Amino acid sequence: MSIQNLNTRDPFADAIKGNDDDIQDGLVHIRIQQRNGRKTLTTVQGLSAEYDLKKIVRSCKKEFACNGTVIEHPEYGEVLQLQGDQRENICQWLTKVGLAKPDQLKVHGF
Amino acid sequence: MEGEDGFDPTLLKKKKKKKTTFDLDAALGLDDAAKKEDLKDEGAADPAAAELEDNLDLESFGKKKKKKKKPFNLDELEGALPDGSDDVNNAGAAEDPEEEEINLDMDFSMAKKKKKSKKKDLDELFADKVEDDKSEDKENVEDNSSTWAGSDRDYTYDELLKRVFEIILDKNPDMAAGRKPKFVMRPPQVLRVGTKKTSFANFMDIAKTLHRLPKHLLDFLLAELGTSGSMDGNQQLIIKGRFQPKQIENVLRRYIKEYVTCHTCRSPETILQKDTRLFFLQCESCGSRCSVASIKSGFQAVTGKRAAIRAKTT
Repeated sequence: MSIQNLNTRDPFADAIKGNDDDIQDGLVHIRIQQRNGRKTLTTVQGLSAEYDLKKIVRSCKKEFACNGTVIEHPEYGEVLQLQGDQRENICQWLTKVGLAKPDQLKVHGF
Repeated sequence: MEGEDGFDPTLLKKKKKKKTTFDLDAALGLDDAAKKEDLKDEGAADPAAAELEDNLDLESFGKKKKKKKKPFNLDELEGALPDGSDDVNNAGAAEDPEEEEINLDMDFSMAKKKKKSKKKDLDELFADKVEDDKSEDKENVEDNSSTWAGSDRDYTYDELLKRVFEIILDKNPDMAAGRKPKFVMRPPQVLRVGTKKTSFANFMDIAKTLHRLPKHLLDFLLAELGTSGSMDGNQQLIIKGRFQPKQIENVLRRYIKEYVTCHTCRSPETILQKDTRLFFLQCESCGSRCSVASIKSGFQAVTGKRAAIRAKTT
């Protein structure tokens, strides 16, 4: 028989459990950059490294009918890059799929 | 006190209703009888007011009426003034129902009203206003109630708008110089320079009206737009890329929200200080102090010609 009071209990267990369902932490920055003419690029920075960005970009390309790549950056990690102004599309898609919550998205640009 | 305050508007209401019917009667030629009735109703308290109202008979309603009301209220208030702070509190309490009443009628005025009441609270807190001012406030408040409560016809939008502004100006003489113009900013003048560059002509003016360092605003603009740019010889900003005034306006709006308005009280009277590499926003009106996000341009994709970049680096 063990004394219940002396059991070791992790005080942060609940907090860790709570975080389990959303891997994404920190803001996802969605930016737009102008290219030549009226062409633009959309970059998505800050998606959690635990996600498979290649798979994400593959489905994004299909969904938005645009091209895109994953770029490895020494400081910012893996960054999604999509052609065209996909800011609204990517926002909706990320929330719909459940990769990030709306309040974790930060849209930059004009 | 409560009873009196409650009583006042109803009294006025009654009067006004009387008047509307009275007017009709007057037109029909029943002048005298109605007048007597009117006088009786108002009682012996202020025959002067009654006279004024009689004068009003043939004139139009609305503004005139208001003006006539004012002196009447003042008299009463002066009588009530010695009671001091209690009075003011009661006025505050009386204000609430009025606000709701107005809310039903028009949302716009509600917003204005709110501001006003807040102002008044501040006044009370700081207590640096003279008693006279307070009495004026109260007068306005009661005036409001009277015109609002006892109306048979609909007020036109213009009338109401005018009224609201009059009241605001009445209560805050410093408003015209102080608070208003800060919210009203001149729109950015954005012109195209050639095909690939955009000039932001009144950039310095805007930085000045926002009380921010031009450099800080410049950093933010460039980071947000994801381009490069620099100041021109004649103090205008040249940004690389094509931008519409509306787009710049959007970015400016975001800048103001983040770096100019106080996060607690939304007042634009703030100072941006740099403290150990972090920027802090210190509010002048509420005294709150909070850190703001640093400006980071983040990831920048390669948009130019790669060959040119390679040539530059090697």
